[in-house]
Amino acid sequence: MEDERRMSTRTRKVAPKMAAALASADNRTQAALARLEALENDNAGIETVEINDDDDEASLDDDEEGYTQKRHSKGTKRKTRQAKALEDARKAPRSFLELLHEANLESLPPHVPSYLKAAVGPPSSTSRRYFCTVCGFAASYTCVKCGMRFCCIRCQNIHNDTRCLKFVA
Amino acid sequence: MYSNKPCTYASSFSDMSNVVVLDNGGGLIKAGHGGERDPAVIIPNCLYRPLSSKKFIHPSPTTTEDLTSAAVRRPIDRGYLINTDLQRDIWAHLFSSLLHVTPSASSLLLTEPLFTLPSIQRATDELVFEDFNFKSLFVADSPSLVHLYEASRRPYGLVSKAQCSLVVDCGFSFTHAAPVFQNFTVNYAVKRIDLGGKALTNYLKELVSYRAINVMDETFIIDDVKEKLCFVSLDVARDLQIARKRGKDNLLRCTYVLPDGVTHTKGFVKDPDAAKKYLSLSDGSLPKPLETEKDVGQTEVTNATRDRKRIDLTKNEFDLTNERFLVPEMIFQPADLGMNEAGLAECIVRSVNSCQSYLQSVLYESIILTGGSTLFPCFAERLERELRPLVPDNYQVKITTQEDPILGVWRGGSLLASSPDFEAMCVTKADYEELGSARCRRRFFH
Ligand SMILES: [Zn+2]
Ligand SMILES: [Zn+2]
Repeated sequence: MEDERRMSTRTRKVAPKMAAALASADNRTQAALARLEALENDNAGIETVEINDDDDEASLDDDEEGYTQKRHSKGTKRKTRQAKALEDARKAPRSFLELLHEANLESLPPHVPSYLKAAVGPPSSTSRRYFCTVCGFAASYTCVKCGMRFCCIRCQNIHNDTRCLKFVA
Repeated sequence: MYSNKPCTYASSFSDMSNVVVLDNGGGLIKAGHGGERDPAVIIPNCLYRPLSSKKFIHPSPTTTEDLTSAAVRRPIDRGYLINTDLQRDIWAHLFSSLLHVTPSASSLLLTEPLFTLPSIQRATDELVFEDFNFKSLFVADSPSLVHLYEASRRPYGLVSKAQCSLVVDCGFSFTHAAPVFQNFTVNYAVKRIDLGGKALTNYLKELVSYRAINVMDETFIIDDVKEKLCFVSLDVARDLQIARKRGKDNLLRCTYVLPDGVTHTKGFVKDPDAAKKYLSLSDGSLPKPLETEKDVGQTEVTNATRDRKRIDLTKNEFDLTNERFLVPEMIFQPADLGMNEAGLAECIVRSVNSCQSYLQSVLYESIILTGGSTLFPCFAERLERELRPLVPDNYQVKITTQEDPILGVWRGGSLLASSPDFEAMCVTKADYEELGSARCRRRFFH
């Protein structure tokens, strides 16, 4: 029962990324990016606005209990739903990547140290080790659909049954 | 700016309650009074909502809450403060209920990550001066504080005499290699890997969820698993072989018991002594990899089938084997995960190479490890093994792990806050009101 609940939230979170991946001509790249992106995720207990744009009113209020409601309660209560939604979007904290984009660090002169210039850069060796995403051992096969690795038929079957194109997030 | 003359805590207790020292990490807040040895408060920098609660609540330092499937909100994303409303909420609780300080009568020493964007600096200054009314502010970066602390601990050591060190900070959000020279972080030589403790926990969640039981929502439990059971491998190929052995030969297999919400609200390691067996692995030489490939394959299948059955039966515990070292392995080889970033050893080399050549040999000889993610057993050994071949033969490589890698930054801050010149280094509220954020910031030389 507990697990079903967890599964259902997970599917919801994953959906947009799945959609993006399936719409893309290059599933494997998308899958890899989505997986990396997921490493910075928090289990924040909310769906982000763009995920549920058809019914965000209800679920936002519902999910944001406490914290956001407190923030808005000092404002007028009679705002139209649309005005309130607009305001929410404006007030919503932006992600670091959005702020970074806005800062336009690319335009700095080359000698000025910045977040972008501090990035370590790609490894000097291009050789990469591959571990089976199912069992963790050295993997020599790649899933043609999603690019994830597996080491044997047994792991391949588990991969196909339970995780192919399901990026946990 | 500040001098790094040897300075003992005993001599620096003047005015100690007037400076709040706040190491505002993405994972943990370390906060206390300047001049003290340790922070008075260490709490997660987040609000969370346990299943038993309808609201997001403040973590308490003495929590007994069952955090199974708790939702988490953090003000910090990828190391940087992005949600000031949330941070205000957390700080308000921190200052009034935990630290019991009056901001308008206090100065604040605040840590801020390197290369913080001007828009985030502005928002931070607003928070400090307009929302909390602090009397004055000093913003410091972690590497210089770590350097200051280490130099003061060993006044006659190399770090102190050469006034230079290479601080490797492997924290919650990211990892930095940062040279410090004459108490200033050498900004143009800093290198960053976008991996820290948070990504490692998430990776471990992913592995456990794929292989045993869905723990994608179990941030706090999996953090605990990571801290108690993960280690850095000194020989990945060997350890992968050991991890697939059966029964007693498998020195890596261990079991973590999940909280059941009834008899125990925290998870625990089933047999902690057995979990430490890997430490007995004689370094480098493999016991006897005599199995043929075929045997290995069969072992694995039997083990896996048995494991799956057992997990279905009990559901409240899971085994770990190769996950224990494949997770910290990411810091050394991010490419394994598909990240196009160099690993820690190369990161250090690139940072040192960006410094003037006369500093390079000293930097390799005074590497200081700090940050919670350096706590994995064997971290420093592995780093040294990878680094040695990349460094010119005539240079020495010497790596020191801080005595307490989680508190090192705070302790450096506490030391700085108790130095006689501290108040003069700060920006006052009046300065801020007159000059604005950007001009005040120039005073901190960032
Ligand atoms: Zn496998
Ligand atoms: Zn697949």
